[in-house]
Amino acid sequence: MADLKLENLSKRFSRKVWGVKKMDLSVKDKEFLVLLGPSGCGKTTTLRLIAGLEEATTGNILIDGVDITDTPPRKRDISMVFQSYAVWPHMTVYDNIAFALRFKHLSKAEIDSIVTETADMVKIDNLVKRYPDQLSGGQRQRVALARALAVKPKIFLMDEPLSNLDAKLRVVMRTELRAIHQQTKATTVFVTHDQSEAMSMADRIVIMKDGVIVQIGSPDDVYFKSTNVFVAGFIGMPPTNFFTVEIIHEGTDIVLKHPFFELKLDNERKSMLYDYSKRSLTFGIRPEDITITSEKNNLLKERALVVEPQGSLQIIALKIDDKIVKLVSAREHTVFPGDMLFLTFKQNKLHFFDIDTGERIGDL
Amino acid sequence: MDSLTHSRSIWKKAAPYLLIAPTIVWYGFFWARPVIQAFYGGFFDLNGHFTLDNYKFVFNDPYFLQAIFNTFFIAIVSVAVEFVLAFGLSLLINIRFKGAGVFLFIATIPMALPFVAIAAMWKAGLATYGWLNSFLYHVGLIAKNGKIVFMSGNKWPSIFVIIIIDAWGVIPSMMIILVAGMQNLNEELKEAGYIFGGTRLTVLRKITIPLLKSTITTALILRIISAIQIWAIITLMFGYLRLPTLVSQLVFYSDQRAPADPVYYQRALAYSVIVAIIISSIVILYLKVSGSFRKEENG
Ligand SMILES: Nc1ncnc2c1ncn2[C@@H]1O[C@H](COP(=O)(O)OP(=O)(O)O)[C@@H](O)[C@H]1O
Ligand SMILES: [Mg+2]
Repeated sequence: MADLKLENLSKRFSRKVWGVKKMDLSVKDKEFLVLLGPSGCGKTTTLRLIAGLEEATTGNILIDGVDITDTPPRKRDISMVFQSYAVWPHMTVYDNIAFALRFKHLSKAEIDSIVTETADMVKIDNLVKRYPDQLSGGQRQRVALARALAVKPKIFLMDEPLSNLDAKLRVVMRTELRAIHQQTKATTVFVTHDQSEAMSMADRIVIMKDGVIVQIGSPDDVYFKSTNVFVAGFIGMPPTNFFTVEIIHEGTDIVLKHPFFELKLDNERKSMLYDYSKRSLTFGIRPEDITITSEKNNLLKERALVVEPQGSLQIIALKIDDKIVKLVSAREHTVFPGDMLFLTFKQNKLHFFDIDTGERIGDL
Repeated sequence: MDSLTHSRSIWKKAAPYLLIAPTIVWYGFFWARPVIQAFYGGFFDLNGHFTLDNYKFVFNDPYFLQAIFNTFFIAIVSVAVEFVLAFGLSLLINIRFKGAGVFLFIATIPMALPFVAIAAMWKAGLATYGWLNSFLYHVGLIAKNGKIVFMSGNKWPSIFVIIIIDAWGVIPSMMIILVAGMQNLNEELKEAGYIFGGTRLTVLRKITIPLLKSTITTALILRIISAIQIWAIITLMFGYLRLPTLVSQLVFYSDQRAPADPVYYQRALAYSVIVAIIISSIVILYLKVSGSFRKEENG
């Protein structure tokens, strides 16, 4: 059981390339923390720094308050599941799992019981005598998992462990990994570029971009209170729709003016935009917060362009001011391409962002 | 329908044999024929009568036992030295330090030199007033009158001179095979070793070397085969008969003696058959011991 702290951690690969830049992060004991971000944002680098496979350019790494920045990997009390699994092909499953245990002055019987127990936990107990090339991808991944679990590390690191699995198995493994975490309670840093994986697994999500942390928060935080345009656009599927609008004062009213619609704000919204009068801003609305309404209440009307049925839901794409806008609605009335839709936005679900910096305006 | 699937499966089975047929013809003509001829020739005298005299000559050749000893001593020691050094250098290059590429390039220069050039170079270096002695003198390892006579022609100094020159010329090619093998390894396999408790040495022993097994086998077999056939560099350095090896005797008899007395040609054939048998047995033995015949483990 342990906590992990990164202080001002940087990794510079060359004059221009920073893997990670001035990162501050603290992971709580027993926490399942997910590092999320697009490819190349520094997730793997962060994990490799924590593991000791990469030397930090600046900053410190602390486990339980002890500085381990210059400690070799084997003495860090961490374990890792690699994206390529990195299961050793010349060893049986048993030997893969037992490898680390053999350095720990345990008796043969103790090693045997730990291997059996972890193989059991990840459901490969019937495969321990095989070599990795006699296993499927999913089974190999379980071997990598068992090998990492067997050492009962303080910190458990996982680099996109599910990205090489097929879609169905991936969803099964999410649940299984969470269940294993419930059982082991090992402090975990889990890396993924898949926002839905992050949303469904994380206690907290750390969103990274270009080697820098953009937002840290619970899945709800990052979804409902996205800190900037990047996060709002990255989290959620389909992502947030953005519009550039002008703020117009009409008497005591404030109106968001767009070439295709004019949205009169309620009082709460008005107070949030107090400092922004007579300027442009970006506002965002999530697909499920655009509702289909009757002709007389409509804010704007547009024909449906593409409709993707998703069981009880449908994703409808339409074009507003030459930009694709997507909305999600229940299948009460199935919509067909070409149908005229009358739409409105849920006022309390509007997100405002500074047009220049992309930062969120007002916190809800 | 039935006959159709039947004929199709015959074609399927025959296809690989048809594909390798040209190679087999080629080998039959250019490889097997001379080999069989040599084998056959060793058992006949000049008049075409069957005889064991050629083999008797070989086994009674006063140089034969020396040749066997020299050949094996040089082969074993030089391959061992070459492997250890080449492996060490490959590990070094594989760290990918700055300038590793340049180092690899410089290290491979000996590969581009013909034996004659290598011999000339080392002869100049090893002469009593050569660059090696003057280097040793300048760094203070020997006194002005303490020059080492490398080329004295005494047995042990000669053997070691040959081993050093051979290693110098051969390490690069071994290194290239090993570096290629190492660069093919997934780096994460080693990194997992470090994370799961391994030191540099344990990772090398339990992960890197076992994973490089087939590369190492290849490098060693190629080396052993050519080490057993060592002769050119010896002859260029010391001439014939001063440090006889199996192949240098073979060349000596067929090249130096046969023109005057053709029976030496038949005797050289007997020598070559013996060399061929020794090399093949060693290769087979080595493959067996190294486990290359076992299929499963190489996964
Ligand atoms: N060994 C390396 N040498 C140079 N640049 C690297 C190296 N590893 C990663 N990078 C760079 O660092 C950045 C972050 O990479 P990485 O941490 O692998 O991203 P992610 O795992 O989020 O996809 C990328 O721009 C990548 O090109
Ligand atoms: Mg990565």
